[in-house]
Amino acid sequence: MKRLFRSSAAVLATGYVVFGVAALVLFAVPLWYAWQRTVEQGRAELLNADAQRLTEVFRRTGADGLKSFIDERVGLQIPGERILLVTDSAFHPLAGNLSEWPRSVPAQAGTYTVQLNLQGHPTRAVFVHVKLDGGYNVLVGRDTARYAPVEQDFWYGLAGAVAVLAIVGVLGGVLIRRTLMMRIQGIQDTVAAIMQGRLSHRLDTSRSGDELDTLSQTINGMLEQIEHLINGVRNVSNSIAHDLRTPLAELRSRLEELSLTRPAPGETFAEIDAALADVDRVIAIFNALLRLAQIDSGMRRSGFVPIDAAKVAADAVEFYLPAAEVKGVSLTYRDSGTAPTSGDPVLLMQAVSNLIDNALKYVPPGGTVSVKAVRGDGDAVEIAVEDNGPGVTDSEKPKLVERFYRGDASRGTPGVGLGLSVVDAVARLHGGVLQLADNNPGLRARLVVMASGPHVT
Amino acid sequence: MKLLLVEDNERVTRFVTKGLHEAGHAVDHAGNGRDGLFMAASEPYDVIIMDRMLPGQIDGLGIIEALRRSGNRTPILILSALSDVDERIRGLQAGGDDYLTKPFAFGELLARLDALGRRGQDAKGASDRTLEVDNLRMDLLSRKVQRGPRAIVLQPREFKLLEYLMRHADQVVTRTMLLENVWEYHFDPQTNVVDVHVSKLRQKIDVAPERPLLRTVRNAGYMITSHD
Repeated sequence: MKRLFRSSAAVLATGYVVFGVAALVLFAVPLWYAWQRTVEQGRAELLNADAQRLTEVFRRTGADGLKSFIDERVGLQIPGERILLVTDSAFHPLAGNLSEWPRSVPAQAGTYTVQLNLQGHPTRAVFVHVKLDGGYNVLVGRDTARYAPVEQDFWYGLAGAVAVLAIVGVLGGVLIRRTLMMRIQGIQDTVAAIMQGRLSHRLDTSRSGDELDTLSQTINGMLEQIEHLINGVRNVSNSIAHDLRTPLAELRSRLEELSLTRPAPGETFAEIDAALADVDRVIAIFNALLRLAQIDSGMRRSGFVPIDAAKVAADAVEFYLPAAEVKGVSLTYRDSGTAPTSGDPVLLMQAVSNLIDNALKYVPPGGTVSVKAVRGDGDAVEIAVEDNGPGVTDSEKPKLVERFYRGDASRGTPGVGLGLSVVDAVARLHGGVLQLADNNPGLRARLVVMASGPHVT
Repeated sequence: MKLLLVEDNERVTRFVTKGLHEAGHAVDHAGNGRDGLFMAASEPYDVIIMDRMLPGQIDGLGIIEALRRSGNRTPILILSALSDVDERIRGLQAGGDDYLTKPFAFGELLARLDALGRRGQDAKGASDRTLEVDNLRMDLLSRKVQRGPRAIVLQPREFKLLEYLMRHADQVVTRTMLLENVWEYHFDPQTNVVDVHVSKLRQKIDVAPERPLLRTVRNAGYMITSHD
């Protein structure tokens, strides 16, 4: 019970009922007041008119005329419709449908509302008391009980409306609460599952797209990001376990052998140089992994500044041009104006460099690599690196961005297999995407970045 | 040169001190932040090598800021395991002149110390309008390069590369230093592209039978020098 009152549905329902009743009262009170006034005023006017007419009859025809007029009126009317009474100065009834002067009506002339017994029934009546010449008293009255049923209906109606309001409010509250609890229970179950490590679970958003759905979608977006981050961490630890252990094992065996065999100085120094190269390789992998983790965490977004992607691409081409010439590959930058965007200059430079470096690695001598930066739809900017090398099979494309994946063609070339992972991570940091497509022949890598940065979903 | 090493790790200290002694430098050592600040403030040094995370109430950046506030302009090389670009920027903003991340190659450290020590001397002299090594002459205003009577035509980036090498004549310049200062690449592109750029430049400035000026220093980098 305590829980019920704390629930938002109960508060909502109570509020609804209170507000409904208040609105009803605001509507009913003026109505009631208006009704009362109209009825009473009309009644008083009618009675006064009657009294006026009786006074007129008395003036024209005297007391006897009045008596017979009243007798005639009483005979004609529906019983109980009107109360008529003429008495002498001592209040003895002379004519009319009242057997005696009601004690509750004062002796003075005037308009009164009084309680009295009428034919044995207690009732309320309105009377106009007129004094005529000769001490005659004329009493014209009307039984207000005639309107009692109407008034009663009014009150019943009002009470009924309040009752319906209350029932609907309570039922609605219970219903809303039940629905809410069901939806929240679903969310709670999912969250509990996620807390137990089943990160792939998602909240149900199949409903009509109401407020809870919107919230669920936002939470799902958050879960997506969390899962991605956690997978990233898992990948990094897997990568460390796998790809750092190999060179470390080599290094260890090299040093151990050196320590055991103690070869001639010349050979020793050659081995030490080789060991240093091993260490440098470990450090390179380590730095690349750290950078990837850092990019993935999204922290570097604070370092975004306005930059021209075209200049980044042109600079990278200029940097790699001599290396391409040495290999006999034609590396060209196709200028198509500025491509302003906002991003991290170091990371974008690294991403473009990795793409060009990759292309140069796989394109055979005599091949071409072409780089361009263009403004895309909206605030998107696209840097494309196209080559006419051996290309990549469709099945291999998604694997290329995986950490430490090395294409079949790359066996025997230098590199640690993190280049495209970095490009992919940089693209995602900039709210964009890395697309690998066929260039017929060759590979077309498109790095799309958004000037406005990533949308928070 | 007279150097101060502020570093709490004993092995790194021994390694660096030994190497610097062999290279002909005098090295003082402080093992914590308090001593480091005291020594840096009381003795004149050519270059200070500063670790960032130090015991003794004050860390490396704190020492640098304190020195700079007191008007000490000694070149400082920050030597740190904090490798983020952001950390690097913070180090330089605090008043450091160069930033080298651990682990590092000794050759890299030595080359950067030489460059910093030279910068200190340069600041004392007037800024040159021309750079000269042997009969190789670079006019910084007209941006013309001549080897003896022979005019050499250089691309803008080649000019920048040669200028950097000539400003550090008779010093070893590492590939990383070239990447950072000529191309402003603050990451390792894992290629030999710098070597290709240098060998292209060499083809332009050292034409047989001229005496080769641009030398490759094994396991370290490059040096432009007129000495044999």
